[in-house]
Amino acid sequence: MTILDIKNVSIDFPTSGGIVHAVSDFTMSVPQGRRIGFIGESGSGKTTTALAAMRMLASPGFVANGEIHLNSLGQTNVLNLNDEEMRRVRLKKISYIPQGAMNSLNPIMRVEDQIWDGIIAHEGHVEKVELQRRSDAVLESVGLPKTVGQLYPHELSGGMKQRVCIAIGVCLEPDLIVADEPTSALDVITQRQVMQTLRDVQAKIGAGLILIGHDMGLMAQSVDDLAVMKLGHLVEFGTVKQIIENPQHEYTKQLISSVPLVGGESFIESSPEIMRGAPGPLLQFDNVTKRYGSVTALHPLSFSLDGEVPKIISVVGQSGSGKSTMGSLMLGFNPPTEGTVTFRGKDINRMSAGEALDFRKDVQAVFQDPYACFNPFYRVDHALKFPFKKFGLAKSEAHTQSAMEEACVAVGLDPALVLRRYPHQLSGGQRQRLIVARALMLSPKLLIADEPVSMVDASLRATILKNIHDLKDKYGISILYITHDLATAYHVSDYVMVLYHGRVVEAGPPKEVIGDPQHPYTQLLIDSIPWPDLNRDWGSAEQGQKGLEALQGNAAVNQTVFRGEVPGFELRVGA
Amino acid sequence: MGRIPMDYLLNRLVTLFLTVWIAATLIWIIPRLSPVDPAEIMLGRMAAGAGTVANADEILATLRARFGLDDPLLVQYVKYIRNVVVFDFGLSTASFPTEVSALIARALPWTLGLMLISITITFFIGNLLGALMVWERSPKLVRVAIPAAMVFTSIPPILSALLLMWVFSAQLRWFPLTGAYGLFVEPGWTWAFAQSVIYHGFLPALSIVVVTFGFWALGMRGLMITVQGEDYTTLAKAKGLRPRYILYKYMIRNAILPQITAFALKIGLLIAGQVLVERIFAYNGMGKLLYDAILDQDFPVIQGVSYVIILMTALSVFIVDLIYPLIDPRIRHGD
Repeated sequence: MTILDIKNVSIDFPTSGGIVHAVSDFTMSVPQGRRIGFIGESGSGKTTTALAAMRMLASPGFVANGEIHLNSLGQTNVLNLNDEEMRRVRLKKISYIPQGAMNSLNPIMRVEDQIWDGIIAHEGHVEKVELQRRSDAVLESVGLPKTVGQLYPHELSGGMKQRVCIAIGVCLEPDLIVADEPTSALDVITQRQVMQTLRDVQAKIGAGLILIGHDMGLMAQSVDDLAVMKLGHLVEFGTVKQIIENPQHEYTKQLISSVPLVGGESFIESSPEIMRGAPGPLLQFDNVTKRYGSVTALHPLSFSLDGEVPKIISVVGQSGSGKSTMGSLMLGFNPPTEGTVTFRGKDINRMSAGEALDFRKDVQAVFQDPYACFNPFYRVDHALKFPFKKFGLAKSEAHTQSAMEEACVAVGLDPALVLRRYPHQLSGGQRQRLIVARALMLSPKLLIADEPVSMVDASLRATILKNIHDLKDKYGISILYITHDLATAYHVSDYVMVLYHGRVVEAGPPKEVIGDPQHPYTQLLIDSIPWPDLNRDWGSAEQGQKGLEALQGNAAVNQTVFRGEVPGFELRVGA
Repeated sequence: MGRIPMDYLLNRLVTLFLTVWIAATLIWIIPRLSPVDPAEIMLGRMAAGAGTVANADEILATLRARFGLDDPLLVQYVKYIRNVVVFDFGLSTASFPTEVSALIARALPWTLGLMLISITITFFIGNLLGALMVWERSPKLVRVAIPAAMVFTSIPPILSALLLMWVFSAQLRWFPLTGAYGLFVEPGWTWAFAQSVIYHGFLPALSIVVVTFGFWALGMRGLMITVQGEDYTTLAKAKGLRPRYILYKYMIRNAILPQITAFALKIGLLIAGQVLVERIFAYNGMGKLLYDAILDQDFPVIQGVSYVIILMTALSVFIVDLIYPLIDPRIRHGD
């Protein structure tokens, strides 16, 4: 039985530069209990289409054409309902599970109040005891203890918040659930648990599910049918098996091939000649420990990275594993509680003003969020010029200009197109490449890249990582790549450290550590990756939970498994 | 949330005490940096009143001794601090020999009444209007009318007060021109007196509201725009909650938090801001007292009024610190 019919829908956004056709002539039916994935890059119209069914398009967008029918409302077109009728459809008939679970809950209301207000808005007065019973039941159905109801959102982890959002979305047993990238902010282990939970409760209440996303692997493991969207057009639709095993459209093929796989074909081309740096240790950790109050973010760790042959060292782990703490220790943003961090033999937390300036020039950083890295009031060339001049590298205006252009070309951007623009006029991928270009202009010796591609589209990730990899080969820059994405770490790095609760639990060359993990935590991480391969089962949420629980009670887990060495990098764990 | 931990309370109390102490010290130091001799001013005033003064030097010396101006500075300071603790600011030089504390005690209720009523009204009106400027369901009229009304915010309070007086008192004769209560009403806890006070207080309060609501409205507008873009507001809509419920419980409730801190800081500033309004309406409050004291170079009164302003600001910040965790669960005492 069909629950939702979208017929010939077109959605327009009037802008100052003319009308943008966000979605053109989109037709699709969602049968009861079926899971449908909408996949595409940002701007493909996948979220816009789903939101149109809830009449929640961001202003000034509007449905220019077409009809949307919700079976349980009879033959009424959803688009013709008045505001009050539409309000009653939301949550009761179609519920929405948002992308940004981090901020999707009202910070000043308890979790249960936010479940109750939804029930009351649709059912009127309900006895307190009944509300309590229903919120407890729905929290339990998403695998949360009922005590969570009494807590405020800031007291929950990201995974728990996302489960609360699922609980809200299913509490009235709607016909259809729209889940907009519900796991994109979560690490792989939590992602698997949350996704399994969503599938279980959806199957239990028999609702249809529209899952919006950009991750082919996640889709393969989560949905029945897949709709591939590009620039507002539905380019391919079919069962997930047909699409993944036998894609018809060129764009679908491209989407599937752009997913980096562990053990798959490498997207990196190494240069025949690698530029060399000065010999001698570049960055050293000497018994570095970091504690925040009673919490140890990083257990004693020593390593020495030689600067002669540039290398990419990856640091992988879940959120909260201490990998970003490591990054900020390397950048000197945060002094270690014990031990020293030295760059070219000098303690970075005890440098003179002049030495500190050299250190800032030699060690550059690329962060996760390309949107937050630019001052919105200046054109982007300002961000490139400023450090170049500030560090005294500019000989003349013409020299600055040519350096900027050269750096843009090095990261695959056309300088004439991007340099005179404002940040908001560029895409996330373009901005992130400009950040890499900016770092490159200063001829650094070391680049700290903290999740540099986790916020850009899948098809661009490979390109940006290629750019970063080129910095190593062509410019002799050593790189620390901090990420939760094991597949990319597998391809780009020379050496991998797996962090768990502030400890390096497994370390060695990526072919060994990620290709054939030995430590139970690394194994769990690898098992949690959703593969775009239907013959490979993702496993169940319980398995993941059991795996984590087994780790927590096991003292042997803290033993580091060394999987081999690479010349120029020495690692020592423990005091 | 919950009970306030003892160490947090102590910490806040110490901060409160230090703030007031440092401020009291500054109030004491600043007039002593001035070349003006208060004893000479008093003598000058006597001379102006009587024509001539015999034994001028003798009187000057007596006055200095009487005011303790001959003592070493440290002794003066210790005496001052001891007196300030019990709100003893000495005698006014302009209305000699009235005690400053008596002058303040007379003026303070008027100002507190006028000020608390007007800033509370302003706070509610300003924030509500600011919120309505952003709310997508506000009537069009509201969205056009509020920015137009903001024009008043750019008018200095003196002008707006004069304008209101001209319209409502001189032309329409709806409200009295001056005073805090009618000439023929006996002060006391009577309904007639209360009526008279409200009647007289209306225009001064209105002139304060008119010029200050824009501050809150503009601030609230900015905060509301941020909250409107938050994911929780989107989810609230997707939950099919009623629009008014979303406005109050999701939007205003979150946007108002920084405004409450600003409110506490404004309380002290408002006495100062009220000076001219009280002067124009001949309203016998702290503002007018301060205004007259500055004209008369009446240092003890200036000191006393300044001290009360600081004490009020510090106290309101202290109170907000204590209640903040009740209104924002993310803030916890002692963290």
